[in-house]
Amino acid sequence: TEWNVSVWGKRRAFTEHIHKLAELVEEKTDGAFTMNISYGGLSKNRENLDGISIGAFEMAQFCAGYHPDKNRAITVLELPFLGVQTLDEEVAVSHAVYDHPAVADEMAQWNAMMLMTSPMPQYNIVGTGEARSELSEFDGMRVRATGGIGQAFEAVGAVPTSVTSSEAYQAMESGVVDTVAFAQHAHLSFGTINEADWWTANLNPGTVNCPVVVNIDAYDMLSDEERAALDESVPEAIDYYLSNYGELLKRWDEVLAEKDVQKVEISDEELAKFKDVAGQPIHDAWIADMSAQGLPAQELYDLVQATLAEQRGN
Amino acid sequence: MTSTDIGLWVTGGMLVMVILGMRVAYAAAMAGFVGLIWIFWSKTGYAPDRFFYFNERREMWDGALGKAFLTAGQVPHGKVTNQALSLIPTFILIGYLAYYAGLTRALFEAAKRWIAWLPGGLAVSTVFATAGFAAVSGASVATAAVFARIAIPEMLKVGYDKRFAAGVVAAGGTLASLIPPSAILVIYAIIVEQDVGRLLLAGFIPGMFSAFVYAALIVGLALTIPNFGPPVTGFTWKQRFESLPPALPIVAVVVIIVFFVYNPFGGDAWGTPTEGGAIGAFIVFLMALWRGMRWPELKDALVETAKLSIMIFTIIWGVLIYVRFLGFAQLPKVFSDWITSLDYPPMLILICILLAYAVLGMFMDAIGMLLLTLPVVYPAVMALNGGEFVSAADSAFGMNGTMCAIWFGILVVKMAEFCLITPPIGLNCFVVAGVRPELSVQDVFRGVMPFFVADAVTIALLVAFPAIVLWLPSLA
Amino acid sequence: MAGAASVLEDDSLLSRLDQRLAKLEWGMAFVSGLGAFALMILAVRSVGGRELFEAPLRGYVDWIEMAMPLIAIFGISYVQRQGGHIRMDIVIGQLSGRSLWLLELVTTFFALVLMVFLVVGAWAHFDRSFDFAAQNWSRDSTIDIGLPIWPAKLVVPVAFGVVCLRMILQMVGFGRAFWLGLERPVAVPLVLSAAEQAQAEAEHMTGHDA
Ligand code: NA
Ligand code: NA
Repeated sequence: TEWNVSVWGKRRAFTEHIHKLAELVEEKTDGAFTMNISYGGLSKNRENLDGISIGAFEMAQFCAGYHPDKNRAITVLELPFLGVQTLDEEVAVSHAVYDHPAVADEMAQWNAMMLMTSPMPQYNIVGTGEARSELSEFDGMRVRATGGIGQAFEAVGAVPTSVTSSEAYQAMESGVVDTVAFAQHAHLSFGTINEADWWTANLNPGTVNCPVVVNIDAYDMLSDEERAALDESVPEAIDYYLSNYGELLKRWDEVLAEKDVQKVEISDEELAKFKDVAGQPIHDAWIADMSAQGLPAQELYDLVQATLAEQRGN
Repeated sequence: MTSTDIGLWVTGGMLVMVILGMRVAYAAAMAGFVGLIWIFWSKTGYAPDRFFYFNERREMWDGALGKAFLTAGQVPHGKVTNQALSLIPTFILIGYLAYYAGLTRALFEAAKRWIAWLPGGLAVSTVFATAGFAAVSGASVATAAVFARIAIPEMLKVGYDKRFAAGVVAAGGTLASLIPPSAILVIYAIIVEQDVGRLLLAGFIPGMFSAFVYAALIVGLALTIPNFGPPVTGFTWKQRFESLPPALPIVAVVVIIVFFVYNPFGGDAWGTPTEGGAIGAFIVFLMALWRGMRWPELKDALVETAKLSIMIFTIIWGVLIYVRFLGFAQLPKVFSDWITSLDYPPMLILICILLAYAVLGMFMDAIGMLLLTLPVVYPAVMALNGGEFVSAADSAFGMNGTMCAIWFGILVVKMAEFCLITPPIGLNCFVVAGVRPELSVQDVFRGVMPFFVADAVTIALLVAFPAIVLWLPSLA
Repeated sequence: MAGAASVLEDDSLLSRLDQRLAKLEWGMAFVSGLGAFALMILAVRSVGGRELFEAPLRGYVDWIEMAMPLIAIFGISYVQRQGGHIRMDIVIGQLSGRSLWLLELVTTFFALVLMVFLVVGAWAHFDRSFDFAAQNWSRDSTIDIGLPIWPAKLVVPVAFGVVCLRMILQMVGFGRAFWLGLERPVAVPLVLSAAEQAQAEAEHMTGHDA
């Protein structure tokens, strides 16, 4: 069996688990099951789910925030200030939500099945000029942030501004925005770190959720041996991703020092204020909105909180 | 049959359709569509029941045919919504509005009063006026059409050879696609996924450089050929300065577009290229209103903008359906592996590629040529240099991957522009002959011949001294 | 208007249908042009709002995304009527009379087959983003301010549908010319030599020289 896998951009920390998965599967099946990973050749990134539904390719990665209406259920994972702090926690809550029947149903409409997540750290912001560490200082700030994170900043008076991720550096350099919210690897690969004077180390406003899915028909057509190889390789691939991203995070601190970027620690008091305005109210609005659309929103939300508590308990 | 074989057969079929005169957009889309069917069907081992298969559980076409039209059907909407592509209609609109704003005549008048005293002065003025208009026009053909009407009669009046006068305008028109804004540079940037702003910036110096090479050629000819075309003198300083204000909006637009991409004084740029193009258009729009453009003219400008934009976009999505198929067939990778396995010096291979473009461009339209070839040729050139992430020190051409993409882009666009003036299909020459009833197409081709030399020199220098191209973008 | 002269007209049914459709096509092309104009206004509003009032246009990128199919595709049939899509004419330019009409007929037929499939494919693309049961009928939304995408996706099959009508008319026109051996048939774009094409372009500029 040969699978086509559609991802986008360039090979980076964000796609390493897919390469690892391909490697493991090929090894375990003695080369009977191979994956051919294509960066943008098979689909546009925001249409990967469409491609899966057509059956043009068998596996793909996408991000929930690219098209919330295609995947309402998992947008719970992109709510601001959920309280996720580590990549391990991100994996745990993501996979718990992916296992929920409402998610499976929604994905089945696209003929897709969740395979694994691509855990992203919290989208902290880099900025130019004076560091902002108090809630009041975010008023009027122009920030490049999308989806739930954008809403959160809007709630505290900041002005979320539309630029694509590839224009983010340009926008920052030109003063179109004062700050940009990204995960660390994106601050590195889109160059926004080069313009930055400071970075919020612990604001942790939220992140985006980017699952890897497979086409259901293609999955069903795998031989038992191939399917087993695929399923049991997932944890290994995720572990590889985590250790690889861990290396990147270590390097991140060096980059900050090297470029003389100030690491802003926001006080607990200010963080609490932030969450009061931009956390719970947005969560409540999400629950109300999604419930009205017939999703078990409260259940999904509680599942996230419960999983997080359980993870902390360990 | 391997997917590479399928890729080659389908590509061959496309070329046949194109040569037979099928519209390039449809031929490419058709090739991509047939290719997708073929690839999807080959994955099922050509099972007969998998060609038209209908999946009842999903109420959906799941056979090779169905997957192909569902996949191809995503492309037109998906691809035209690329944000950078929104620059194309904007750049086209600027050109039409600039015409109604009277900027063309103002530029030519200013250039004449300031530099026509040189040997061959009126021809040199024409070159610099087209360069100035290039700063608001994104399309070469439109530029040539406009200046054929304004500049040729004046040159004939003072005794230029009519063929040479026509050649100057045909060649000068090509500057519009190097000097930003440029529709064709945007298209290149989209195909190769590079930063549009940097590429536009990179076109500026090579464009001006081309203009100076043209000017030098004209002065040289004027000095060696008797009765070539006399200098035009006698303008007072007062007259010279009076000619400037009407042409000033050009400067304003140039400054805005450049500053939106990159601030030469080291401060912040003013915005994004997308915004810069649109703000430039708005200024020209206000200017045109002030100069008497009213609803009928605006309506006309809008429909003409739509027509040219749609023509370009149709080729874009048509070819991208073919490119989507190439993605499944992995042809670009195979071709670039082959190129890098060749045992010749990389520079020699690059020169051969450029020569191939010169030959192809004799018969093809510039945009169609770039769209059809770049998906395969660009990865090969990048691989030749040592890959996307190569450092300058380890590379074959002495520049990192990003810079190589920019450099090759300018070279290819310059080649494409060269093709606009070479027989047998040289669109700029046709346009000039079309505007001037007294000139035949053969006349224009004869007149433009000296500029082949100038273009060859320019391209050779751009290849030999990449810094001409890369200096400006390396600052941004 | 440039190129308009290349389609002949008379009182026949075919030509009247052609002219009827042409009115619709002109309207659609005009909408495309207005879209380009709107793009310019959008940027002025975005930059102006940001620089002067600290109020950037929320969802600027999303609005561009919504406008682009209108600009780039909606008026496609207008260009098709005038034979404005780029092609190579080294072969077709040498032909005349019946052989020319036959080749035109054949290439138009293949283009029609392609466009019919693309109508189906583009419709399916729209249909995946559309759901009567969902909020705003939307099952696909833009990245920043969550606009429903289906209206923009609907533009494509609609525009392609009109092109199919146009191509059918042109096939009738070419077929008739082939059958009757006509010299200058109505309702089809007549092949202009590259030089004639340039002439048309030049004429368009005439009379507007400010
Ligand atoms: Na230009
Ligand atoms: Na040529």
